[in-house]
Amino acid sequence: MYEWNKNQPIFLQIRQKIIEMILNKNVKSGEALPSVRQLATELSVNPLTVTKAYQSLVDLQIIEKKRGLGMFVMENSQKELLNVERKKFLSDEWPQILKRLESLGIKLTDLIKKEQGA
Amino acid sequence: MVQLIKVNGLSKSFGKEQVLKDISFGIEEGKIYGLIGHNGAGKTTILNSILGLIDYEGEISVLGQSPYDKRYQLMEDIAFISDVASLPRFLKVNQLIKMMSDIHPKYNEEKTHEYLQNSNIKLQAKIKSLSKGMLAQLHLALVMSIDAKILVLDEPTLGLDIINRKNFFKQLIDDYMHDGRTIVITTHQVDEIEFLLSDIMFVRAGELILNCPMEEISERYAQLLTNEENVSAARELKPIYEDKQFGQTMMMFDKVDAEKLAQYGQVSIPNISDLFVALMQQ
Repeated sequence: MYEWNKNQPIFLQIRQKIIEMILNKNVKSGEALPSVRQLATELSVNPLTVTKAYQSLVDLQIIEKKRGLGMFVMENSQKELLNVERKKFLSDEWPQILKRLESLGIKLTDLIKKEQGA
Repeated sequence: MVQLIKVNGLSKSFGKEQVLKDISFGIEEGKIYGLIGHNGAGKTTILNSILGLIDYEGEISVLGQSPYDKRYQLMEDIAFISDVASLPRFLKVNQLIKMMSDIHPKYNEEKTHEYLQNSNIKLQAKIKSLSKGMLAQLHLALVMSIDAKILVLDEPTLGLDIINRKNFFKQLIDDYMHDGRTIVITTHQVDEIEFLLSDIMFVRAGELILNCPMEEISERYAQLLTNEENVSAARELKPIYEDKQFGQTMMMFDKVDAEKLAQYGQVSIPNISDLFVALMQQ
């Protein structure tokens, strides 16, 4: 069974998985995504939860619903997603990483020097 | 959302003992409801009332009908697996399938054959020769072949090993859970079906003490893992439950701002079994 993270609603985690599928080009622009039923069965989750995850990506215009055919990845979705993910990284994850570095007594400038030297 | 079942002020006594106390709730189309409670809390009595198998005080409407008066009619639209149900052991699988199609107007024999195709269950096999896992699989296949709007499952995976339990639920999602069909399920293995549920109901000593959509759980309840030095400060925020875990204190909170809690330790969404334990002891 898939291991879920305890700190985030499931639909957001499913959404993140779909985003990764698109960013990793497992599903390319214009291609079909797995059906709600297929994903729900694979993950053993409520189909409504998968629908909610898909719907939030439809709202962002990353994917589109084609009647009777299912969900499809839209053109330019990767570029859009990269923008969304970059913004999210800078606003949510990066401050946490900075905090962690500070608590460990690691200097950012030292890290950068080391990375560039390597 | 269409409400399929409406229960209002349901009470039930066996002799002098009141086992259900003024229970009210609704069941909406297309959702999966989990009814969770200890043995003897009243879960099966609630299900039996909905199914019209026992009489009761209060009002119940199932698809607009009274289940006690219209039991036979409603059985066409409600399918049911009970923890005490046993398939007739003296029949062969194909005889049971024939019997089902003789007695149930909405039963589709072909569907059962389709479901059983990928299983190890042979049509010529005697029911009594089947393993527990196969029995559950056969039972589910029969019940899913009934074109019912509502499926009621009372401890359907009791006695099954983990692989059979997982397969049971996967099959349920894959083959049954579409076209607005609805499930009411009771189980002890809450953690295994937590992500399957759209709504959760906790029953304690005949009373419904929690009834809400799963999403509300993460909005309403929070679990805090805190160290000794912060315990007394965190207690000021009135936890509903406390427990020790690996030298740390776990506290459960109801409607307390997660940001407020975060200053005292690690905050997470409680899993259903922890929440159950917390609410049962209130």
